[in-house]
Amino acid sequence: MAESLLSLVDLEVRRGMSTVLTGFNLEVASKDVVVLHGKNGSGKSTVIESCARLLPLEKGVIRHHGSLIVDSEGRRNLAKYPFGLTLQSNALLGDETIENHLSTVCSLSNMKTDLLPILEAYGLGHRRHDRIGQLSGGQARKVAVIAGLLPAMLSSQPRLVFLDEPDAGLDKSALSALISDIGQLREAGHAFLIASHHSQIMECATRLHDLEGETKQPQPTVSSWKAIGVHEKKGMLSTRVGQRYLRSTRAGIARNGLTALLVLGTLLALLDPVTESRTLLFGFVLAAPFAAGLVGDPVVYLMREQRAVDWWRAHANRLPSADLSSPVIGFILASLGAILFLNEVNWTLSFLGAGILWSTLICVRFIELSTLRLARPNAVFIKLLIPILILPWALIVEYAATL
Amino acid sequence: MNMRQRVPEIFLGLGFVGIMSTLYLGMNWAPSVSINAFESPAAQRIFYWHVPAAWSAFIAFGVLFIGSALWFFKRSPIGWRLHVAGAEAGLACGLMTVWSGCVWGAAEWGTPWDWTDVRLNTFGLLTLLALFLVLGRQSQPDGVETRDTFSTFGLYGFVLVPLTYIATRIWQIRHPGPVIAAGDDSGTLQSSMALVLLIGALSFTIFIIGHMMISMRITHLEQRLEQAQKALDGGN
Repeated sequence: MAESLLSLVDLEVRRGMSTVLTGFNLEVASKDVVVLHGKNGSGKSTVIESCARLLPLEKGVIRHHGSLIVDSEGRRNLAKYPFGLTLQSNALLGDETIENHLSTVCSLSNMKTDLLPILEAYGLGHRRHDRIGQLSGGQARKVAVIAGLLPAMLSSQPRLVFLDEPDAGLDKSALSALISDIGQLREAGHAFLIASHHSQIMECATRLHDLEGETKQPQPTVSSWKAIGVHEKKGMLSTRVGQRYLRSTRAGIARNGLTALLVLGTLLALLDPVTESRTLLFGFVLAAPFAAGLVGDPVVYLMREQRAVDWWRAHANRLPSADLSSPVIGFILASLGAILFLNEVNWTLSFLGAGILWSTLICVRFIELSTLRLARPNAVFIKLLIPILILPWALIVEYAATL
Repeated sequence: MNMRQRVPEIFLGLGFVGIMSTLYLGMNWAPSVSINAFESPAAQRIFYWHVPAAWSAFIAFGVLFIGSALWFFKRSPIGWRLHVAGAEAGLACGLMTVWSGCVWGAAEWGTPWDWTDVRLNTFGLLTLLALFLVLGRQSQPDGVETRDTFSTFGLYGFVLVPLTYIATRIWQIRHPGPVIAAGDDSGTLQSSMALVLLIGALSFTIFIIGHMMISMRITHLEQRLEQAQKALDGGN
């Protein structure tokens, strides 16, 4: 019997006010291609997102390769083995190049490969250095689909691949390439769970499942996929990706940096440095890094695009962030403030500025990410809770003034 | 409408009359405080509004906590209604407390707010949390995701209640220490002052109980309306 790669036991999942899945069971073994079909709202995407540990379970347990991934007790473990995931949204950042994005996917599997042959098979070879934001909708979907297939393409060991409506927006040749890849990867021992209504995708299934029952569908033997990955372990992936996002978008400067400079400028316009108290002047110096932190993590802001945060949450416990650069920017802003308001560089204030920006950014990110599960996370006034950060900031300013 | 259904309105009416009486007694009957003890002795009379409002805000935050826990751990629809009612009442009472505190602070301290005072800030955050829950709920479709997220905030936000309570004992900066249950003679009140305060606390308590009962009824009706609309849409 083939190895069980995915096990869903007695699953109950609620979305909105409805219980979408009740008592749902599914086993997916190596060389299985399970295609979920059925009417809209029947729970196909819910199954896939639950398997990618994006949805909490009311009941039941999900295992990848025999290891618990998520259960109704709230446990949510990182998958031992990387898996492929293509959500209904592409989960791509417009400012990333195709190659950078797919290289990141490879790095999540601790692998690297030459991406050109894969991109050429999908008609994207000439676009590999282009930003995703410059692609058409169909081309962007191809990138998202390749990102979903890559963990299986790279590995000689069986991997799980979850594809939610992968055919949406694909042209005929890309669809043929996808179906061919699914067949070859299946032969190599990988397993697929796909949500789709497309007749050609349904034809390549070994099991068709309508969430109530399933029918088996034998598939002809095809040539097996040869794994193309070369092992390459890179540490601090989330941090490196966060820095790359910042470099390619300048979002840190555009959002946090400009806010801080505006605060500095405004305070400078109002202030007579000769007459003010030491506490007030120190407060002005540390206001800029604090304001920059209150704006929030620019990387998280970027990743709200097309559910990129969800894609990352499925694969890693630590999201890309601006943690590395924030203390440096805080240091620079506090030093600049000290020069403007105190006519000197005060190293204590500079280090405090670094700490203030870093810690404020982390707190604001935590608060913002806590509402991600909502249907409309951007409409939720979460920043109402941020004023509490003024208290520690004010206490730090008072403390600094006593030094 | 029978008598039982009128209970919330009766509570609201009684509470309102009690609050008005408290205001009258506090402003006209209760004795003045020593002019040596306060910068602005007349402003101290707002205390008869401020303290009962804060007391009832804590009751509302307690209801919010219980409702959040009932929803989060038991998926109880009544728990969710309690959560909504607690958040709305907490917001109303929290705003009354913060507003009256700012008025007193402006007269007594010369500033309406102090960003370095722990009690002011933790209570302010509790009020903002209630505002966030009320506005947030209106911005989201009702569903398990919305209820789980806001219940989590309700559960964790309650940590601020004991923190606010002990704040003046541990880090007293501007806000006065406790006047009731202070554990020593420092907070002893004259009996007439204590009587007005007691009437105020009782009136506010009755008022917000009535408010929360009505709020729970409205939430229940909203849910029934939504179910009826879904049935008309042909959904489940």
